Amino acid sequence: MAKLILDNLHKTYYKNKEPIHAVSDLNIETNDGEFVALLGPSGCGKSTTLRMIAGLEGVTSGNIRIGDHKINDLHPKDRNIGLAFENYAMYPPLSVYENISFNMRAKNVPRQKIKKQVEKISDLLDIKDLLHMNPSALSGGQKQRVNIARALIRRPEVLLLDEPLSHLDGKVRHKMRTEIKHLHNEIKCTTIIVTHDQLEAMALADRIAIIKDGVLQQFGTPLEVFNHPVNEFVAGFIGEPPMNIFSVFTKFKDGNIYFTSKNEKLQFKVPDKYVEFVQEGKEYHFGIRPTDISVITDDHPDSIDTNVTVFENLGEESRIHIKIEEDNILSIVSEEIYPFDTGDHIKIKFDTDRIHIFDIETGGRIENTKVTAILS
Amino acid sequence: MVADITLKSISKKFKNNTALANINLTVRDKEFFVIFGPAGAGKTTLLNVIAGLYLPEYGNLYLNGVYFNYVEPEDRNIAMVFEDYALYPHFTVFENIASPLKSPKYKESKAVIEKEVTRVARILKIDHLLERNISELSNGQRQRVGLGRALVRTPNVFLMDEPITHLDAKLRHQMRAELKEMQKNLDTTTIYVTHDYLEALSLGDEIAILNEGKIEQIGTPDDIYFYPHNEFVASSFGEPEINFFDALVTDDKQLSIFEEAKIQDIPDIVKNKLDTSARSIRVGIRPKDIKYSFVKENDYSVECSVYSFEPLGAKAVLTVEKNGNQIRLVVPSILQMDMDQHVYIELDINKAMFFGPEKINLFSKFLKDAKGEVIWQS
Repeated sequence: MAKLILDNLHKTYYKNKEPIHAVSDLNIETNDGEFVALLGPSGCGKSTTLRMIAGLEGVTSGNIRIGDHKINDLHPKDRNIGLAFENYAMYPPLSVYENISFNMRAKNVPRQKIKKQVEKISDLLDIKDLLHMNPSALSGGQKQRVNIARALIRRPEVLLLDEPLSHLDGKVRHKMRTEIKHLHNEIKCTTIIVTHDQLEAMALADRIAIIKDGVLQQFGTPLEVFNHPVNEFVAGFIGEPPMNIFSVFTKFKDGNIYFTSKNEKLQFKVPDKYVEFVQEGKEYHFGIRPTDISVITDDHPDSIDTNVTVFENLGEESRIHIKIEEDNILSIVSEEIYPFDTGDHIKIKFDTDRIHIFDIETGGRIENTKVTAILS
Repeated sequence: MVADITLKSISKKFKNNTALANINLTVRDKEFFVIFGPAGAGKTTLLNVIAGLYLPEYGNLYLNGVYFNYVEPEDRNIAMVFEDYALYPHFTVFENIASPLKSPKYKESKAVIEKEVTRVARILKIDHLLERNISELSNGQRQRVGLGRALVRTPNVFLMDEPITHLDAKLRHQMRAELKEMQKNLDTTTIYVTHDYLEALSLGDEIAILNEGKIEQIGTPDDIYFYPHNEFVASSFGEPEINFFDALVTDDKQLSIFEEAKIQDIPDIVKNKLDTSARSIRVGIRPKDIKYSFVKENDYSVECSVYSFEPLGAKAVLTVEKNGNQIRLVVPSILQMDMDQHVYIELDINKAMFFGPEKINLFSKFLKDAKGEVIWQS
């Protein structure tokens, strides 16, 4: 059992003598047995980080430690890390059993011991029936199980998973996600998963590190990053359907301060808790999740009159879309299925406890006190 | 222009693989018809048969009642919209939309082109973008241009092959809304292929579900979601996936899903549908229709252990284990359940679906006769 610590980690590449900072000043400390996701769009530096941990990539500066041991300069095989690649990378002519035990056999571990270990691990991953098969005969989900078994059989202190689900489709992907979560709870091995899929990170990880352009944006539990994103990037990246984000301007009217959208289609009072933080006549980015807007029937001082642009009945939920700007819609997700159609007049209300205001220049969250996050 | 399409007993083989088997369907005039199915179901093959790119081995195609198996693709007046829109990147929006009219087949005059492009651009609300380059457009606008180019020919039928599938989940959400907004103005019979059940439910006037070259069901989104014809359809629509249970039917027509729970009454309408000799039945319950609690609330609730807890935002998928079976529930994320914690679940039998022999829903509204043709149940 071990903590993984990334201490001021930097990685700089040179392209035509121009430095490219793939990873800048990354600080992450996992707990013992924790499941941490490195999440970000492609090219954000998450895979580079994983490769540095595994030892496949050198470190420009900074330290990587497992517990008290610095592992920067260790050979990959001496780091005691298990790595499951995205593309399985199995030996095609060997059986599943031989693939899983390959490393142990290379190290001349006694046969009996190998057998015992393989049995144990294949029990855990439910691949006992596949041991005699060839990798080519396996389905995507089965291959991924074998792949993880192969990483785990070394009893690593840290398990690294590189986009383990991205090659699987639909239903298999969901099943495998559940399986990985369950497996982690059984083995409690410190695990780092790299993914670009925010749902995957939310579902699996104890904490998520959201990275953009090599810089850590926020490191927190799924609920923290969902409910208290530190900036507009995190707010827009986490959540499906995405958070509604649009420009608002502040305006004084009969003693109250209001937010109005660009075309003045939406106008609503600035909630009390924001009054002291916003300045008059300034532009802000306003964010609210589709699930935090309700459709109301009775009059309410904070209600907003608007028209339905598109209504979708999706069986388990309905979605109401309101065009507020060219190329920007406000979406509402509700469990209730309304009989709405395009053009219908409705009243909506924002849940004022769950709105987010961002600075238009820095993207930072305004009134951002509760969040325990690192922003560079 | 009226355009309805009828397919009768269409079959298509590739060497020894049957890609389509006895497909019967009717797309009514101005209808938005969705063909839904997993990868490899034969969706694109079916679209290509309609477009005339493949000749079926067997069966007939009719356009407005006229046999058109052997009509050349270019003479079918069918417009196809591709996944990547395939726009000319160095042309303006106007030139892109005008391109089919300049082709040797149409060779329209300048005045006609101008008039047609303006008309189409107005429908799609891109008339202010006509002089822009494609590279300056957002994804939504590009899609409109792609549609505009198809629309300018005033086709009988639109065929769309997964036009928004390659976008990421967030953009897809917005593009689906955009597409739905445009759909009202298109006023053209459209056949739309997708493997995303949300697109099917949202856009389709009617949905045909294809699996391994066969039609599993044809129906409205409500029919499909609330009265899925069989277990395949039920599990294809909705996320997380619906749960199925093997239940016993007692001699006095009561239901036992879990051994340790109290036997419950089968709702009367179900009882009436049930074969007198039936001793077992499959019960399907969607994840949101299972109640959970931390104490045993009544004789119908059963104890399970937590298998995994996956928060996805405000909601979480809770998977519990009972007698080696996994059961999925939708719960609020704030519950934060731990592994192996004990939880009680209760199935809402009034919201359950019942599947009889061959996994067919007892309440299906979709029936086929011996020839595979659809009979509608009132």
